[in-house]
Amino acid sequence: MPQATATLTPDRQRLELSALSAPAVIFTVGMIAFPVVYTIWLGFQSFSSTGKQSFVGLANYSKLLSDGEFWHGLWVTIALYVLSLVLQLVLGVWLALVLFHAKRLHGIVRSLFISPFMMPPVVAGMMWLVILDPSLGAANYILQSIGLPPSDWLASPSLVIPTIALVDTWQWTPYVALIVLGGLQSLPPSVYEAAQIDGASPFKTFQRITLPLLLPTIVTATILRSVDLLRFFDIIYITTQGGPGNASNTLNIYGFRVGFEFFNIGYASALMLTLTAIVFGAVLAFNRLRGAVAW
Amino acid sequence: MTAKTLMASVAIPILAAATLSQAQGADFNWKKFQGKTITFLANSNPVSQALLTQKADFEKLTGMTLKVDSYQEQQMRQRLVTVMNAHSDEADVFMTLPSREGEQFAAAGWYADLTPLTKDVAGDYNFADLSQALLKAGTFGGKLTSMPMNIEGPILYYRTDILKKCGVEVPKTIKDVEAAAKKLKACDSSITPFVSRGLKPAVAYTFSNMLHNIGGSYMANGKSNLCSPKGKEALETYSGLLRDYGPPGVVNYSFPQISALYRSGRSAMSFESSNELRTVMDGGERLKDTGLAPFPAGEAGQVPTAIGWGLTISAYSKQQDAAWYFVQWATSPEIQKRMALQGIAPPRPAVANDTEYRKWIDEQPVRKEWQAALDVLATKGSSEVGYPIVANPQSREFIGQAVQDLILKQKTVDQACADADKALDALIAQK
Repeated sequence: MPQATATLTPDRQRLELSALSAPAVIFTVGMIAFPVVYTIWLGFQSFSSTGKQSFVGLANYSKLLSDGEFWHGLWVTIALYVLSLVLQLVLGVWLALVLFHAKRLHGIVRSLFISPFMMPPVVAGMMWLVILDPSLGAANYILQSIGLPPSDWLASPSLVIPTIALVDTWQWTPYVALIVLGGLQSLPPSVYEAAQIDGASPFKTFQRITLPLLLPTIVTATILRSVDLLRFFDIIYITTQGGPGNASNTLNIYGFRVGFEFFNIGYASALMLTLTAIVFGAVLAFNRLRGAVAW
Repeated sequence: MTAKTLMASVAIPILAAATLSQAQGADFNWKKFQGKTITFLANSNPVSQALLTQKADFEKLTGMTLKVDSYQEQQMRQRLVTVMNAHSDEADVFMTLPSREGEQFAAAGWYADLTPLTKDVAGDYNFADLSQALLKAGTFGGKLTSMPMNIEGPILYYRTDILKKCGVEVPKTIKDVEAAAKKLKACDSSITPFVSRGLKPAVAYTFSNMLHNIGGSYMANGKSNLCSPKGKEALETYSGLLRDYGPPGVVNYSFPQISALYRSGRSAMSFESSNELRTVMDGGERLKDTGLAPFPAGEAGQVPTAIGWGLTISAYSKQQDAAWYFVQWATSPEIQKRMALQGIAPPRPAVANDTEYRKWIDEQPVRKEWQAALDVLATKGSSEVGYPIVANPQSREFIGQAVQDLILKQKTVDQACADADKALDALIAQK
């Protein structure tokens, strides 16, 4: 007996396949689109302290421009982003080189190095909160036992951003290192052989060959970390809740508090959409850069 | 509305319902809503944990199923905001802190009016015994919105052995606290003389007690009053104690850090919630060297902060009658006695005087002092924590900011209070 599908025209076949997959596609698109569309709609609404809702057009966005806390949050977000990203890229590349050249026990070394980013950020935040406690924490105990003065760490307005950047760097440098390690392993050996024949020193080899060839991989790592860092929330929420004062009040923390503690969901949505636009902008810029450094 | 008329508006319907319930006596049908499922959105704190140890009892008594949706406090509020903004009936009953969000939730229409529901009540419920102050705190616009689950407030935990070693008397006034802290600092540099909340959103809980004891008020003539002489004195005294005698990093301290510091034996005086007794005494090291008292008096005497968690019914619940059966069971004398035996201070004087509970209290001297301090909270307490306005949670941010500015020496007291008053006046003006 001839099979039914054999008699179908290609157009009919395409139509049937489309019809069969349509529910899944509609569901997936809906799941992605609905929260975005809903947040955009919320951004045009105002909610009073009592939850009363009214349409205000672009008023939430014009309020952003005159809101000192927004500009402060933006500054904190950028400062934390730049500091963390630079530290993670420099240390990540260094760690990748160490792992790449490790001759012995590289399995154990790799497992040890990647363990921080396997830890949930909330757990990491709690752990560092205890370690950095100025009275009871191990960090000050170590400083004092080697004759250095204790530090206020997360409780100092001037140290809180570098301290949070260090905690994030501790957690995410191994992730950057793993990405870079993948890039290192894919580099063509022939260029290194040519450099060796030409008598290039190890530093010159790194500077002139390894680094330029690794650039696309580093930019990929930069994109991935940028998305996370610009939306930085969990460790700050666990350790300082944006304090002391508002010294670590990133845009994400500020938006969360406006929405869920002060119940102004409309303004919080406008804040979050602005942050989303910043993240998208950064990703697009780095994507262009990746195209420029590709080989 | 004056306090008297407000009290009358709360007490009269409740007492009427109580009289009616006495008449119903033992005829009360707990199985009226058998087969229904009640969803309870709970804050996973010691109060709900103690209550939920009795969950099986409720299900057996009523034939209903209790579905518990439990989160940490912040996460519970996030969930609540989402559910209530969607007008969803997902939560029938939820825990609420009237002193914090009561005005806001009442104005938003999130609370069901419990007054008519209180007519359907078991004979032994005894409304009259519930703390009238807490019932008043849960009444908005003449509507009773929540039933009290516990009574709590900040109290002073102090180390009797360290005070004795340093020749320091137990402080009787706020000035004594400052003098004691100074003497303790000179006597033993390894000990933190005084610790209280320094984390911005948490400051109002303890600072309010200081402000009220000194004789200050948050508002006067509809305006923020932090720059009044008493307001400035309270700001300077509270922040000065933490800056000069508190632990390093106190601006990040809330109850977990304070309890950990005191339990580890590193602080001589801790001003923290009465609810933390169990945590502080965990391990038993502090049982024999701890004294407890309400915070010492200021010029206005002792006006301790006394608040309590309440159980309320969602305005969007489709089964408010059945939900009320859970609320009345959970706040009944018998269940509150069982919770009290787990260290949850009861909002009912009769339970506090119950023989079994007194026996538990008498087992340890520290429990006796704890109960004595709670008795002062129950009789003299004020539930005003932060500004008595709809945006109370946000007002706490500005109080905390002013205190932190002074602890960190970022502003003078005049600058700090002026900035706070400006922001708070804008908040007060918001509708």
